[in-house]
Amino acid sequence: MKILLTGLNHKTAPVELRERLAIAPEALAAETRALLTHPGIREGLILSTCNRVEVLVCYEDREPELASYLNQRFTVDAQSLQPHLYHHRESEAVRHLFRVAASLDSMVVGEPQILGQVKESYTAARSVGAVGGNLERLLQGAFAAAKKVRTETQIGSSSVSIASVAVDLARKIFGSLEGKRVLLVGAGKMSELAARHLMQQGAGSLLISNRTQERAVHLAQNFNAHVVRFDDLYARADEADILITSTGSTEFIFRTPHAQQFLHRRRNRPMFIIDIAVPRDVDPEINRLDGIFLYDIDDLQSVAASNLSDRAREAQRAEAILEQELARYHRRVETLDVVPALVDLQTAAEDMRQAELRRAHSRLQSLTPAQQDAVDAITRSLMNKFLHHPLRTLKAAAHDGDFAAIEAIRAAFGLNGSRRIPIAQEENSESGASGSSEVKGRHPGPSEIATKDEASAAEGNSPPRELAAASDNND
Amino acid sequence: MFLLWLRIAAILYGLASVSAFAAVFGDRPRWQRLCIPLAVSAWLVHVVSVVEMLVLAHRWMPVGMHEVQSILALLIATVFLVIALRYRTLSFGIFALPLAFLLVVVPALGPDRHTFHSPVIRSGWLLLHISALLAAYAALIFSLLASLLYLTQERRLKDKRSPGFLDWLPPLDTMDQIAQKTLVFGFYAMTVGLFAGSIIAQESVGPSYFADPKIWLSFVMWGLYVVMLFVRRSTGLRGRRAVYLSSAVFVVMLCVWAANLFSSVHRFSAP
Repeated sequence: MKILLTGLNHKTAPVELRERLAIAPEALAAETRALLTHPGIREGLILSTCNRVEVLVCYEDREPELASYLNQRFTVDAQSLQPHLYHHRESEAVRHLFRVAASLDSMVVGEPQILGQVKESYTAARSVGAVGGNLERLLQGAFAAAKKVRTETQIGSSSVSIASVAVDLARKIFGSLEGKRVLLVGAGKMSELAARHLMQQGAGSLLISNRTQERAVHLAQNFNAHVVRFDDLYARADEADILITSTGSTEFIFRTPHAQQFLHRRRNRPMFIIDIAVPRDVDPEINRLDGIFLYDIDDLQSVAASNLSDRAREAQRAEAILEQELARYHRRVETLDVVPALVDLQTAAEDMRQAELRRAHSRLQSLTPAQQDAVDAITRSLMNKFLHHPLRTLKAAAHDGDFAAIEAIRAAFGLNGSRRIPIAQEENSESGASGSSEVKGRHPGPSEIATKDEASAAEGNSPPRELAAASDNND
Repeated sequence: MFLLWLRIAAILYGLASVSAFAAVFGDRPRWQRLCIPLAVSAWLVHVVSVVEMLVLAHRWMPVGMHEVQSILALLIATVFLVIALRYRTLSFGIFALPLAFLLVVVPALGPDRHTFHSPVIRSGWLLLHISALLAAYAALIFSLLASLLYLTQERRLKDKRSPGFLDWLPPLDTMDQIAQKTLVFGFYAMTVGLFAGSIIAQESVGPSYFADPKIWLSFVMWGLYVVMLFVRRSTGLRGRRAVYLSSAVFVVMLCVWAANLFSSVHRFSAP
């Protein structure tokens, strides 16, 4: 079974194209079912996020035309789609999926949502029977690798946007944001974004104050917030635990005496002031007061930049972990590939042993049952000893990816393409079809062999004595 | 047998300390999951050891440094577990668990050579006196610790340092609550302890008891405690000044502890 991954992401395609291909989460299962109807596809999965649309399939013979599938499905012009698509095959597809799940291919490296989105796609694909053994193994490997990256590195532990840095800092001061009041002074885009982020993270209520009252009222309606008249700002600013200011004022709006008043009225409870305005709205001297924590846009950006460089460093560690996990995945797949060969080798050897015991049956008849058991044990032990080294070499070759060694062992024991080696087939043809089926099922003991040979002799097959002679000749 | 339990508790406190350091500094979820079970196991084994020790001695009151140390360690571990479970922070573990380990190590090495046979040690008032004061000490240790961590975190946030070595510090509000609550608890415990001690002193020694350095230092500590609580409550005192006050009370507490060596009357030995 071969693997192919085709798709586009934020690096290769503009948002206008990505949004045309985007699939809603509730439509994922139906789309995956439709994907399976495409010729040649055995297993499949579709990953659709705001930053990527990828189709991952397993196929047997002819490589499916995933680009044409995307063209047809989303009625996108082939010429406009083709330059933005990438195609990864086999180990490259595996590597790509592992990197995506571990958030190393994300726009913001380390963001935690992507793993959940891959899992959603997996659940949708499973629900329509699109996940077989190959995809199951591949996706479980990707999930395990992503989990290891999350737990063994700090790739996702720090915030890298201004708004999330502000939320992190607020948490460092107040612990939980629950019940905390935010005051937005001025109505700039970035302050609005920071306020929105704080509210999403659980801040209790929002107050808005703006020189233009209408703008404040309009914004308050969007946020379900209360308006504070700009004239009442100093009288009511102490109600806020977090103050975000971004007015166009050319002079400081808040100075040390204001902050001292706020603290006095707040009984020294801490206050977090975020000054996003340029030029600044808050006198930096305020930060000297106990209980006031002032961050301006440069401070926030410097924390974000520092976090970003931390992430880049952690991403390098994550890449190393991913390499180990990829190697582990490939080893597992390769080991699984030689499992049938291991089973065939053991079965063929056991067949041979049983055949030899049957040949020697007449000479062993004089032995007591205990002695016959001993002969059985000795031959079994010899067989195991003989097989020990080839089996170990086969496993080691699979582990090391030494395909030449695997092929040599397969050829030496006649395991290529057939489950049974020629000698065993010869013996089976001599001893009849019934004997063959029994050997495949389980391995009979010496007393059972005697019974079986007697039965075959009665049916007119080669007598045991002749088998013994043939065995002597062979030796 | 109680020594064996105490040794096991010491080992578990040691392991819990290691896991607390790894959990806090390494930010490793595996260690975070391990720390509390280890600390709880240590605490349970420690409780068994203390109960067995007191049952064997046919009294409920700890006497001698070994027993007192062991019970103080138990109280510190208790406060740590309460804080860890209530505020979901292991940060205090890097101080409390090694402290509990160190306090338990000496008593775990062998039995105390000094024994006390005074009939006073079976007095209920004395039991109340000692247990309440030990609880107050444990609470005060945590209050000071929380105040110091508050100050460190406050400095860090004011200096706008990027996350690094001290990223593990709990939020300011959490530390303020811990400092405040342990302080109030410690105050009640100390008041009860001193009240019980005064009753014993009146009955057994008389007014001269109050001239003893251990005793008047204890009352100075209580006075400072009252001042600190009053100031904190009335002005919402936080940060640096709150730490100064906590430190002052803590220094006096250490003096009270050390004053035992110079005290002539604060002894359990038979007259």
